[in-house]
Amino acid sequence: MAEGDAPGNATGAVVRVTSHALVAALPVAALGVVAILFAPEISGGLDHRAVAAWRTVFTAIVIQGVPFLLLGTLVSAAISAFVPAWVFTRVLPRHPALAVPVAGAAGAVLPGCECASVPVAGSLMRRGVTPAAALAFLLSAPAINPVVLIATYVAFPGAPAMVLARLLASLLTSVAMGWLWLRAGRAEWLRLPKGPAGRAPGANRAEEFRLSLQHDFLHAGGFLVVGAAAAATFNVVVPHSALRLFSDSPWLSVLLTALLAVVLAVCSEADAFVAASLTGFSPTARLTFMVVGPMVDLKLIALQSGTFGRGFALRFSSATWVMAVVCSALMGWWLL
Amino acid sequence: MKRNIQVLLLLFLGVGLLHIALLTDLYLRYVRAGLRPALIASGVLLLALGAVSAARDGFPFDRPRTGRDRGDGHGDAGHDQGHAGHGHGGRGPRVAWLLYVPALTILFIAPPALGSYTAARGDAEAPRAPEAAAGDSLFPPLPRTGVVPMSLNDFTGRAVWDTGGTLKGRTVRLTGFVTPGRHGGWYISRLVISCCAADAQVRKVRVHGATPQRADTWVTVTGTWHPTGKPGAGTASPALDVTAVRRVPEPVDPYNDVVAPRAGN
Repeated sequence: MAEGDAPGNATGAVVRVTSHALVAALPVAALGVVAILFAPEISGGLDHRAVAAWRTVFTAIVIQGVPFLLLGTLVSAAISAFVPAWVFTRVLPRHPALAVPVAGAAGAVLPGCECASVPVAGSLMRRGVTPAAALAFLLSAPAINPVVLIATYVAFPGAPAMVLARLLASLLTSVAMGWLWLRAGRAEWLRLPKGPAGRAPGANRAEEFRLSLQHDFLHAGGFLVVGAAAAATFNVVVPHSALRLFSDSPWLSVLLTALLAVVLAVCSEADAFVAASLTGFSPTARLTFMVVGPMVDLKLIALQSGTFGRGFALRFSSATWVMAVVCSALMGWWLL
Repeated sequence: MKRNIQVLLLLFLGVGLLHIALLTDLYLRYVRAGLRPALIASGVLLLALGAVSAARDGFPFDRPRTGRDRGDGHGDAGHDQGHAGHGHGGRGPRVAWLLYVPALTILFIAPPALGSYTAARGDAEAPRAPEAAAGDSLFPPLPRTGVVPMSLNDFTGRAVWDTGGTLKGRTVRLTGFVTPGRHGGWYISRLVISCCAADAQVRKVRVHGATPQRADTWVTVTGTWHPTGKPGAGTASPALDVTAVRRVPEPVDPYNDVVAPRAGN
């Protein structure tokens, strides 16, 4: 093509525009053809019963998590905005090794499920609470609060030992994990939650409360969606009946219910009922399900990696999983 | 995520929660009825938060934030690109975009309640017998005459655990949805939840003597107990010899397994 003369330029421009249009139009056209050819399959796929079940379970996990997440972020935003840092240094023992069990027992006062405890633990660390104590609180709060213990009592009628075993095993696990973090934890694993940090004197507290609430809720909510999607996938893909195959061996069944608790990600206020329905499993295996579930599960791993960093979430969750299995096996052997 | 997009998300999620919990009963497809006040409170709170944010941050267009607006507590707003998807101050977390999926889902394309797909894959579980003292059956006797409406919960519990034979010779009526079984058989079934649809448990009763119905159709069946196995040992499975099948509309609260209201025999 001749360059330099005016008509040539015009032709060149036309060719360029045409070729661009073609390049842009090709994928669109291809997609259109695919859409027209496979329209029945695509709409059929969306209507497919497995997909429908996945959407329902996914929506259900998110919806039941949102009120608790909101409660947790309200508490954590209130801590960041209104509670001065000296309160925590005054309340908790100075020595970290003593602060861990106190914080673990304090978990009993936050009535909620695990979605609520992650943002609260994050804001505790932000306010200068030693990470080990905040982590003990993070683990114990969803497992030993009164709402969960009453639900356990209702789900296992005539077996108060189960409630006691759950309380003790959960407390033991959280305190042991707090101490383990003191001994073996490294500060660089933990990406301290930044958020809208420390309150300067004279700042508008209400505005700070709102910004902190909005940020924490949107942030944790996004990770709740990730976790809910993963849990819904396992929930729909793995049939519960496949699990009965392993319920004969006592050791395998404990490990299996511990894995099940991770992938099913049942809310800690409901997991007692699920555990009660795991007929055919030994009491210890059911106890393991209820101890592991509130501490390690897919949506919790997603929430933790959002708040504390992915490296931390993976290390902490796997250590907690092992610790929870050991503690519940011990408690089950002793009490059940 | 820009501030105006955050405001929009808060409003969508708040309206969505109020839509499923306050204006309609759609929430019963996903969670237990007891969660309704919490859902409504969350919806109102999110709307309030969204409204305040809209007023302070500017909506629908971002208002440029002045130093006075920003407050002292947000010194990290300047270096908010520190880690991916986790900005602070001026911009919200990027991962929050994902919240649009459930927000728009519950607002516009609420998925159906779980049905035969889940019921077919789950193991049928019969609720345990009440603690029996000295071999007595604690299942109260059923009325001797007429058709007895029963929940699937009650029927499966009695069929599997009742050693007293309270089901013998009674005509019962059950309501549930159709789950196809193997070899052309079918079940009348229910899903029971204790918190949300993720923990659904299956109750199902094998139907004998009636032509198969389309999956997920809600039906009321009338018939007599079809004994299988030995009750009380956990080997029995609930079954019914059916004489009449009638279609019924899907209930608003599909997971609430209670005796159906009387609607003629």
